[in-house]
Amino acid sequence: MGRAVSAAVPIPVIQLLQVLTVAFGAPGVMGVIAKIEARLQGRRGPRVLQPYYDLAKLFRKEALAPLGASWFFLAAPPVAVAAYLTIPLLIPVLTTYGLPLGYMGDILGGGFLLSLASFVVAAAAVETGSPYAQIGSSRAKTFSAITEPVVLFVVFTVALLTGTDLPYALAATVRSSAGQVVRPAHLLASAALFMVILHETGRIPVETHSGTNEFGMIEEARSFEHSGPYLALLKWGSMLKQFILFTILADVFVVPWGLASTQRLGSVLLAIVALLAKAGAIGVAVAVIDDSFSKLRLFKITEYVAAAFLLAVLGVFTLYLGSG
Amino acid sequence: MNGAPGVYEGAADVIAALMLLLEFGMLRQALVRDQVRLYAAQSAMISILAVVIAADRNLPDLYALAVLSAILKVIAVPLVLRRLLGPPAVEETRGVAGSYTLNPASAVLACIVLAAFGFFCFGALGIHGPDAPALALSIAGAMVFVAFVLMIVRRDVASQAIGFFSLENAISLASLVVAAELPLLLETAFLFDLLLAVVVFGMLIRAHHSRAESLSTADLSRLRG
Repeated sequence: MGRAVSAAVPIPVIQLLQVLTVAFGAPGVMGVIAKIEARLQGRRGPRVLQPYYDLAKLFRKEALAPLGASWFFLAAPPVAVAAYLTIPLLIPVLTTYGLPLGYMGDILGGGFLLSLASFVVAAAAVETGSPYAQIGSSRAKTFSAITEPVVLFVVFTVALLTGTDLPYALAATVRSSAGQVVRPAHLLASAALFMVILHETGRIPVETHSGTNEFGMIEEARSFEHSGPYLALLKWGSMLKQFILFTILADVFVVPWGLASTQRLGSVLLAIVALLAKAGAIGVAVAVIDDSFSKLRLFKITEYVAAAFLLAVLGVFTLYLGSG
Repeated sequence: MNGAPGVYEGAADVIAALMLLLEFGMLRQALVRDQVRLYAAQSAMISILAVVIAADRNLPDLYALAVLSAILKVIAVPLVLRRLLGPPAVEETRGVAGSYTLNPASAVLACIVLAAFGFFCFGALGIHGPDAPALALSIAGAMVFVAFVLMIVRRDVASQAIGFFSLENAISLASLVVAAELPLLLETAFLFDLLLAVVVFGMLIRAHHSRAESLSTADLSRLRG
């Protein structure tokens, strides 16, 4: 047993494990959030594994497409999932050292993939001709245009802190000393990123995640016309996106500890458990926020984004103008 | 790679940054009662910063200052302000809530620009040293400008008073980080300055309210009655 744990795992296998951890951990994190949210509301809630059952059920169902929808409508969900599953290759999911494919793209590369996935889903929703799906995609694009500057300023902060825009470099910088952790620029950028994540994953105060049809819907409205395996892929995609964003927040910004620094099987397995625990912890924070705030009116979302922008900009100021 | 400051300096900078964020909160907050709460929180921050600096540089005087400042700014001033404003229901009719001249998002954006200017000005002073966290000083500069904007964009006496008091907080922050060894007597004298300002603003709020039946300064566009 001891020998098996200290055996070296080949690099390509670790790289594959990064993708698999994200692919199969994501529904679990969604389940944890739903469960905790329900418990906080005094309900028993669905079991933690419910998202897996939901996906399995949808994958077995028949798929229908609206009349007049082209091939793009059916191509979008697999393309989105493929884009989401490429991102774990670029970011530190399990290891502190960069894996060979990890240098294919920097933080902006990951951002482009997230945007690509969101764009194809929105374009497919427009294809359907359904008013709800169209309004959802229109809103999603409008609001993502105003959150983009926040993300850019977070990236600037990373660049000013590390001299590169590689996620691995920032994680290493944060680990290097306690002074880096309590640095205002780092904390401000992390807080801004967290606010963007709440927005991107469609959580309170921007959107109700588990609601039924309503006029305030943004991201959730886009999948209205998809069904069967395609709907499953879209749902899985949004879980993947959430897990990836949580991973970036935890492993790059807030707690880049617990990652494997060697190729030993034991440390890689520990890193998987640590990542799931960290994502679960962020999930608990998200669930608490979900239960303690109310949804903002649609036109108040700009103020929420302005607050996130303020944090990110101040982060850059402290570094660039304030020599902090 | 950008070298990191020490943990003490980082902590002082973070407290200063939180104070700046609270200043932005006051700017954005519509109700004056919430502004008072934020002001109390900001004042609490400055007491915490005084304790941090006292512990780090072994300056026992600063503990006394922290306690004095907390009693005055976290408890006394907010209490007086609340008494002056009366019960919450009255506030709406007095022209306080939503007395913006700019919408909040634009005001925040304008303040971001001014904060950059503040950062730049105080950063250009080039005050560096083991004892003076340069960033906290720049943040104090940014806070001064944001407090000015708070006083300018709100058209009610109460918010303007709070803007003025938080301006005093910004100055205290600057004096704490640059000249922590300032004699306790001088620091206390600054605090009494604040007391004076509270009395003057209190009278102003009373006088304005008794004449105009409102705290809004929108009626004061003509100088002659």
